[in-house]
Amino acid sequence: MIPLRALVRKELASLFGSPLAYLTLTGVALVTALIFFDHLRVYNQILFLYSSTSLGGFDADAIPDFVNLRDQVFLPVMETLGLTLIGLVPLVTMRVFAEERARQTDELLQTTLLSPTEIVLGKFAATFVFVALLLLASFVYPAASILRAGLGLEHLAAVYLGLFVLGLALASIGLACSALTASQLVAAVSAYAVAFVFYDFSWATTFTGETLGPLLDALSLHPRFGRFSEGVVRVADLVYFAGYAVVAFAVARLSLEQARVR
Amino acid sequence: MVEQANAAPNGGIAVEARDLVRRFGARVAVDGVTLRVEPGEAFGLLGANGAGKTTFIRLVTGYLLPSAGSVRVDGLSPALAARAVHARIGYVAETSRLYPELRVRGFLRFVGGARGLAGEALDAALADALERFELLAVAGRLVGNLSKGYQQRVSLAQAFLHDPPLVIVDEPTAGLDPLQQAEVRDVLASLRGRRTLLLCTHDLAEARALTSRVAILSRGRLVACGPTAEVLGAGDPLALFRESAREAS
Amino acid sequence: MMLGELALAGLVALAFGVGSYYATGAFGAFGVVNVASGGLALAAAAVLALRGWRGFGSPDARRVLTPPLLGLCAALAGSVALERIADARDWRFDLTFERRYELAPAMHELLTSRGGDVRATLFCEQGDPRCRSTRILLETLASASGGRLAWEREELADEPESADRFGITTSNTVVLERGERFAKVERPSEGSLYEAIQRLVAEPAGFLYVARGEGEGDLRRTDDVGYSGFAAALETEGYRLRDLVLAATDEIPADASALLLLAPERELRADAFAALRRWLDGGGRLVVCLDPGQRSGIEALLAEWGLDVPDRLVVDPASGPVAGDPTGVNPIVHQFADHPVARGLGETRMVFFRGARPVIPARKPQADDDLRAVAFSSRRAWLAASGAVADGARPPERPADAAEDYQPLAATGRYPRVGSEARIVAFGDCDFAANRNLRGLYNQDLALNAVHWATERTERITLRPKALPPHQFPLTPQETLRMLYGVGLLVPELLLVAGGLAWLRRRSG
Repeated sequence: MIPLRALVRKELASLFGSPLAYLTLTGVALVTALIFFDHLRVYNQILFLYSSTSLGGFDADAIPDFVNLRDQVFLPVMETLGLTLIGLVPLVTMRVFAEERARQTDELLQTTLLSPTEIVLGKFAATFVFVALLLLASFVYPAASILRAGLGLEHLAAVYLGLFVLGLALASIGLACSALTASQLVAAVSAYAVAFVFYDFSWATTFTGETLGPLLDALSLHPRFGRFSEGVVRVADLVYFAGYAVVAFAVARLSLEQARVR
Repeated sequence: MVEQANAAPNGGIAVEARDLVRRFGARVAVDGVTLRVEPGEAFGLLGANGAGKTTFIRLVTGYLLPSAGSVRVDGLSPALAARAVHARIGYVAETSRLYPELRVRGFLRFVGGARGLAGEALDAALADALERFELLAVAGRLVGNLSKGYQQRVSLAQAFLHDPPLVIVDEPTAGLDPLQQAEVRDVLASLRGRRTLLLCTHDLAEARALTSRVAILSRGRLVACGPTAEVLGAGDPLALFRESAREAS
Repeated sequence: MMLGELALAGLVALAFGVGSYYATGAFGAFGVVNVASGGLALAAAAVLALRGWRGFGSPDARRVLTPPLLGLCAALAGSVALERIADARDWRFDLTFERRYELAPAMHELLTSRGGDVRATLFCEQGDPRCRSTRILLETLASASGGRLAWEREELADEPESADRFGITTSNTVVLERGERFAKVERPSEGSLYEAIQRLVAEPAGFLYVARGEGEGDLRRTDDVGYSGFAAALETEGYRLRDLVLAATDEIPADASALLLLAPERELRADAFAALRRWLDGGGRLVVCLDPGQRSGIEALLAEWGLDVPDRLVVDPASGPVAGDPTGVNPIVHQFADHPVARGLGETRMVFFRGARPVIPARKPQADDDLRAVAFSSRRAWLAASGAVADGARPPERPADAAEDYQPLAATGRYPRVGSEARIVAFGDCDFAANRNLRGLYNQDLALNAVHWATERTERITLRPKALPPHQFPLTPQETLRMLYGVGLLVPELLLVAGGLAWLRRRSG
């Protein structure tokens, strides 16, 4: 465990030794704040309009279905943040393995007590911590607003859980691509391409027909990610996203060992 | 738990290669090399560029796996007992394998941790390394901002943190000015007898000064092996290099 | 071309092809060429990789590579297997504010025991965000039904015939079909879907006769004080409603499952009372509600059957103000007897009455009769004169001689007789079932369960899905702005400062 902890600390130190990490965190927090505020402002205006004519109390019919916190605020924020993660995460992961290979510091790593499994585990763990910090930075303002409004945090927690597992899946894709090359550019481009293709397989129904629709839906990131915005956390969805991490871990480990044989 | 090294009474462990082969596709980088480095010995590995020295080193460290044959470090296979072998090795690569975004102290602390050191043991090793390699003045500086000479000292320091019985050094003085070269050689000379030293170098004078036995590789093959004075003293040792260079080209 | 470059080119081409699909909504020549060439390139790279594989190379390599290879296979297979298991079990957590996907007991019971062979089709326009939550709701229902309810989604634009057949005019419409019958739900929620499925599967529950002619509550009135909502709920439960003008009849029809008397304002005629007595003697079932201040003679009839309904007003100071009325005059009830009529009601599932008189089980006409109070006020309640809230602004003050105690607000009587059994359910208030109050708290459940008990359809006694209001966000715009400045912009600012410090340290390092 000592070598693994040392590696995780080193990875985080490398990440946060650069201003880029802070810029990324700042960007995500700022984008979230502005998007959340903007949608909340519009939602308040609509709500005010309708609630002024509402009978109040138990009569919900005066307020249309679509006027609710979930559809007016959570869903747009979640979609925007999801796209932001797709744009940002590959840039964070591209250097994790590829830079080691390019600098040949992987040779240093692999002559320590760190096994290939621990190397992959340590880098995955550090990257996941960064993704979690990304989302934490963006979570603070919406959470504070929700609590200030006297509402519970559970629904927002479900939204951010969805973002977190999406971030983990994207990070896993990026890490696997980074492990397969020594070029950060190739790692980033391939991570974008894979994430893009896997985001939503509905395009494939053009070639396969509707019969495979449910299967393609089950394989796609976006439909499963979207469910979290509804406040519903399905264990199957969590397992699906965790599967990306597990498979990417196996790919990265295989790549490290394969490099010794090549 | 890494078992104790089978260190000789005077320090060091043995390295043994037997019919060692490594191919990269159609190219044979190491071709049937058989040699033994005795415990505590300072052994030099010479050869022209592309002769297979670095590949051989990587086979010893386990960074690469052999295509055929075997290599053993203290009787252990680097392929199958990597952790045990790595516990016994300190490795200084040809070009600095450093993290420029880390500070010297942080880098050494990381490597120490990666080598299983923690707590007081790590603190003590760190302090010793900083002093021994005269890095106290630059301990708080970013590795990437150091001069080449200091970077090489950091590279040396990381190899000794865990006091390994086998130190592998690949071209330690490449790119250094004469003063820096002399300092590095002094450090390496101080290791003689206390641990096994496997030194890859182009520099014949360095080999004569630091090693007791040398081997010369040419296109992956072992063309000479024996006491340094014999191999490098007999006739024109450059002939061996020329031959190997000609073959290499 | 090297393997890696081929694979990368294939990926990029595939991504561009897919991207063109998202950009335009369809595959044009550009998209098809890119997807095809990308797929071919990836396939070619895979073939080249397989052809170039010359085995592990050495025993050491085999030993080193086998575990991660097996690990990759295990990771893939394990992930898929676990996901399928979790999907089949449909383990889920509903973290919505309203717990909108936790089904009511009534829905569970409907889906598992009576809701067989129902097919649901969700008609949506592409991009309609409401369809997402409706889809989750239908998934939840399908899962809870154990497969008895199947569902699918159709694009509205692709199904013009269905839209015409079912009269669909708006997206996010669910059509429920069972055999040849169908029900259309334009605002799908658990409650509306429940009622629609009920209408499809409900077995006829008999006739309910509703007394008219003496100022009783009108089941046809759709305004706040009408009872059209109650009527619709009863029909959803399978009852067929018929009017009965007591003044014009000598007998209660024999096919009546029960008779509803909704707070007659005027005194019933003697013939009507005689008919009622004969009917109850013969095992009739009566559901009656009386409001404070009314004197219809029903009190005397109920007294004959052991239920006293004094013309007083229950004032319960423990109940908060309801709908602008003074505190206490509209009791909020959370104390219930262990009785089928009140099944499931309690501390967190309450009902409320709009001005109620007590209904007191006083004496049994016969030894085997079973009289029970069902719903109670708090212990601090007391009885005022029925006109005590004429001054609507302030709550009435308790006189010194008015005792505080639990006041029964509803009661039942069961009267076994030779060859029959009469049943009576009496409420001290009728407004709780009027349109403006019926959907509040669990009023509808109490009213419907009372009818089910009276007609001995106790298997239908349940708690039904609630139409909960969407959660609002009670922060004023000013407070929202303050939160933005105080937290929303502060966090990124602090992060930026931290980044600047990191940059300065690097420069000095």
